[in-house]
Formats: sequence, structure tokens, C-alpha cells
Amino acid sequence: MDIKRTIKYEADRVPGFGREVMAVPGCEALEHCIQCGTCSGVCPLSIYMDYTPRQVMELVRSDFKNEVLQSHTIWLCASCYACTTECPRQIRITDIMYELKQRAIKEKVYPKRFPIPVLAEEFTKMVHDYGRISETWLVSKMYLRTNPVAAMGMAGLGMNLMKTGRFSLKQDKIERRSELARIMESVDQQNQKAQA
Amino acid sequence: MHPQLRLQGAQVPRRLQRGARQAQARLHPLPQATPQVVVIDPEVCLNFKRGKNPDGSPVVSDKCKKTCVEACGEKNAIDFTQKDELKEIKVGTIIVCTGFKTFDAGRVPAYGYGTYKNVYTALEIERLVNASGPTGGEVILREGKNPDGSPKTPKSIGIIHCVGSRDKKTNIWCSRVCCMYSMKLAHLLKEHTDAELYNFYIDMRTPGKGYEEFYNKLLEEGTHFIRGRVGEVTDWAMTPEEEGKLVIRVEDTLAGVVRRIPVDMVVLATGLEPQADAGDVRRLFNMSCGGDGWFLERHPKLAPVNTFTDGVFLAGCCQGPKDIPDTVAQAGAAAAEATVLIDRGYVEQEPNTAFILDQECSGCKSCIPLCPYTAILFDEERKKAYINEALCKGCGTCVGACPSSSIVQNLFEDSEIFSEIEGVLSYD
Repeated sequence: MDIKRTIKYEADRVPGFGREVMAVPGCEALEHCIQCGTCSGVCPLSIYMDYTPRQVMELVRSDFKNEVLQSHTIWLCASCYACTTECPRQIRITDIMYELKQRAIKEKVYPKRFPIPVLAEEFTKMVHDYGRISETWLVSKMYLRTNPVAAMGMAGLGMNLMKTGRFSLKQDKIERRSELARIMESVDQQNQKAQA
Repeated sequence: MHPQLRLQGAQVPRRLQRGARQAQARLHPLPQATPQVVVIDPEVCLNFKRGKNPDGSPVVSDKCKKTCVEACGEKNAIDFTQKDELKEIKVGTIIVCTGFKTFDAGRVPAYGYGTYKNVYTALEIERLVNASGPTGGEVILREGKNPDGSPKTPKSIGIIHCVGSRDKKTNIWCSRVCCMYSMKLAHLLKEHTDAELYNFYIDMRTPGKGYEEFYNKLLEEGTHFIRGRVGEVTDWAMTPEEEGKLVIRVEDTLAGVVRRIPVDMVVLATGLEPQADAGDVRRLFNMSCGGDGWFLERHPKLAPVNTFTDGVFLAGCCQGPKDIPDTVAQAGAAAAEATVLIDRGYVEQEPNTAFILDQECSGCKSCIPLCPYTAILFDEERKKAYINEALCKGCGTCVGACPSSSIVQNLFEDSEIFSEIEGVLSYD
């Protein structure tokens, strides 16, 4: 039997993390959480999570940054907004999950071969570069980065889809991409400024 | 058995019985009403269904056999000519104890009240376990029968706390009484049915003499207490054991796991709300309301039964959710406060009341709606306003507002204020 130390010391906390998250517009109501568990009760995916949404809320409030950002709860959240609708304290739990996802991606602490953050990353990259996504490339890239073996297994399906014209290797693009590039440039600058 | 007594119990108004049969013309206005007398329900009684006389009194028909009159015999207690009366009574003090309204459980759709027949409110269960209730105290389900056709008794029951309490979408306050009455119902249901009982709570609030001990007793009885607000009640079965049952999906927050619990009966511990017409009552007595709609006491600690209007006192749940012992205590205090005024026979006044200079008043009435204490009245004959000094609190609103400067306030006359300013501004 593998016995692990579960105690948390003050040194395990990242003081200020909770306040930082609660300062983000839309996440303020977290301070009113009464830990009733309605969010986990209505969450269709809570049965697979390592921390239930309620526990994530408490971990954020108690500044346990590393535990939260490394948990796969935030990546299992399917943004169905059931928790946000039902929360008796009107905490926008889904929005807090998004905030945590963004932080996890920025700090690169998400599980390496986990498809959801990879998909999110590839999605934004594709929109950033081409202004439009093409599902073929998005799914292929996600598979190659997370589970190449499974991608090989999908080859047969891909061939069939290609025959019926459902699977095109052409990258979808928008017109006047130079204008999009200018917009994105200023977005990137803003992001860099915010990070610095 | 006395015919009147035989009526009692089963014939309570439909609003309390919720679907149980009720078509008797005579009924008790409330179960366990005091005094225990039956009244005629004009909605049902054949005598009253024949229209009305020009003066508004009901036509007493001869078509009904009047078996009730026969049964009453020489006691002659049934009188069809009695009418509702409005009486005007002069009083010196008033104690407002208009009570509360229970939360409408249908406002929380996730718990399926009104959708699933075996979801009950606590008040319905209260009637169900009552020996004089519609089933004579037998706990049976609204839906589902045994193979032999008899109504089913529940084998497992879930009681959901905080329905319409501690929720920003409905009522933000804690209704205070639900934890205790839920436990009482759990105890009674256990006694009546020996079912498996689950209480779903956010926090157990059992402050009060003997209350924590009662909680302990329920723990000894084997009632399950699960800390977690229920996410949803559904009839969608995912395992064979859930077939034909209501499933409660909840996070057991103390164990940190999500659970699905199949039960036969769901009880919603509905919270307390201000009465729907609390606003009208408030305006009638010139009282204040908090933001949540409960009547406001003059001071939460130092004047908990007084209102801002002298001689009007508060008792019970119209001032805020509270249980019976607290209500009785507050009512006692309100009665004592009222008695003080009545016993003394006179009212002590602050000296700074306002008065109207009769010759100068033009009768424009602009001061009348401004007075927060409705102390200003209008003499229609003389076309002049006058102030009831017993009601005036000396706020000075009317003094400042009077366009002809004909209202003067004692202790604050213009000359007094000017000389005060002069005194403040002078040096030596």
C-alpha cells in the first residue's frame, strides 16, 4: 500500500492567489461561497473529478494554487454552466474555471498529454493565424500532440471521410488576413504588457 | 360520536390539504383551530349557492334537506343568517403579529415539486403524520401502489433543508426553524414508517435549549445527515436499484464525493417569507420594512418589539423568522410594552413638536403628504391644516416645507435659531 503524506503546511500556500483570482471581473462572488456543494451536485462531470468543484472553490480561496492548477477538474469542466445557474450565492463557477485554465496554460502546469488544454491552445492559435478554424487540422494536431498512436488508428476513418468529401486538407482562411494580423498584433502586445 | 366532531380532521380547506378530498359544507377553518368549532363554507353549502339578496346577504334556499340542522337538534347551533361583519374598535395600542408565508416550493424547479408526485413540502408531511390528518396519521405515498392495490408506505425518505432559504435567487436569509422542524419530521416519519431517513443540510443550525440534544437523539436513531445542498431530484434511473424511485443527486461535502441516493419520498423543508400583503400592512401602520420585507423594529437590541410609530408593537414572524419559543417571548414583551402605555393612561411627549399658526395657514395642504408620521390633518370646514401633537415627532420637515412659513417648531423657532447662530459666530 502506498501511503502518502496529505498534510498541508503554510508553505504549500501561495498567499494572495485567492484574492488575485477574486479580483478578476466575474469571479468576485467567490468570497461568498458557503461550501454547500450544489455545484458538485449538479455538475455532470463531477463524478470523474479529482477535486469536486466545491473543493476547487475552497482551494482557490485558501491560496492552494499548485493543487488547483494541477488538478484535472478544471480541464474536465465542459462549461455547461449548471453550477453557475444553481449556485445559491450566484458565484460564476464556470468563469472561475476559465480563469484557472488560462492561468494553468500560461504557467504551463497542465498535464502534458491531456487533450483539452492542447485543443484550446491549437484552437486559439489557428484563429490567431488564419481567422478561422478547419476541423481537420485542429483534430489532427490535437491527436498528434496528445496521443499519436490513437491518431494512426483513426486513419481508416479519415480515408473514408476524405472519400465522401467530409475531410479536406485545405486550411480555411478569411480574406484580408493582413488586417487580422494587425488586430492580433495589438492583442499580443496587450497580453505581453499584462504579463510583464 | 357527536356529528360535529366527526367532521373534524378530514375537512380542512384545500389549501392546507393539497389534493386530499374535501367537499363538506361545514368545516374547521384550521386543523386544531381554537376554539374547536365548525363553520359553514359558503363556497360549498347548497344554501349559499343560490345567489344573493339585494342587500348582499345570501339567499337561504329551502332545497337543501338541512340534515345538519336536524342532527344538531335542539341545540340549534346552526344559523344560516349569520354574516361576516366588519367592526370598528377604538384601541390605544396595536400589536402587529401578521406572521409569515411559507415559501412556494415550485419556485425551485430542480427539486421537482409539482412535477413528481412524491415530492412533498414539510407542511404536507405535517398533515400526513397528524393523527387528525387526511390519512389519520398513516404515511402513504401519493403515487405508487403495492401489488395488492393498497397505497405504498415509503421505505426511504430524503428531507432537503434550505428550500427557499440561504439562496440569493430566492431568499437570502436563514429561515431558522427548518433545521429543527426537519428533524422533528424525520423523527416522526421514522416512528411511523421505520424508513431509512436522509437529511440534506448546508449547516445544521440547532441553537436553543435542548435543540442540540434533539439532534443527538436523531443521530442515535440512525437518521443519516449528509452535508450538502441537493443538486437535483430526478426520476431518471441509472442503476436497477434506482428504478421507480426518485433519485437525489448531492455532494456529500464531508466525505468529498458525489452521491446518488434513491428514495421513495422527498420532503422539502420550505423557508419563511414575509406575507404577500406585508407592504399594505406596513403602510397602514406607518411602519418600516427592511430590504428583505420583514417589518423593522425600532432598534435591533434596545427596542426589539417597538416600531417607529408610537403605540404600535411587533411580535412574531412578521418581524423576522423565529420559532415558537422566541415568538412567545417576543409577544410577551410586546404585550408588556403595550400594557405600560395603557396602564399609565397618558403619553409623554417630546417638547419639540410643531404647530401651525392658524391665521397664516393658507390651506394649501402641501405639508400633509410630507409628514412621515401622518400627524398633519386638514380641517375641511375652516380650510386649515392642524397638527396632532400626540403623533408629531418634531422632525421639522413641514416647518421647512410650508410656503407661507406658517408652521413653527417648539424649541426651534426662527428667532431662537438666529440667536444661536449669532452666539456661535461671535468671538468674545
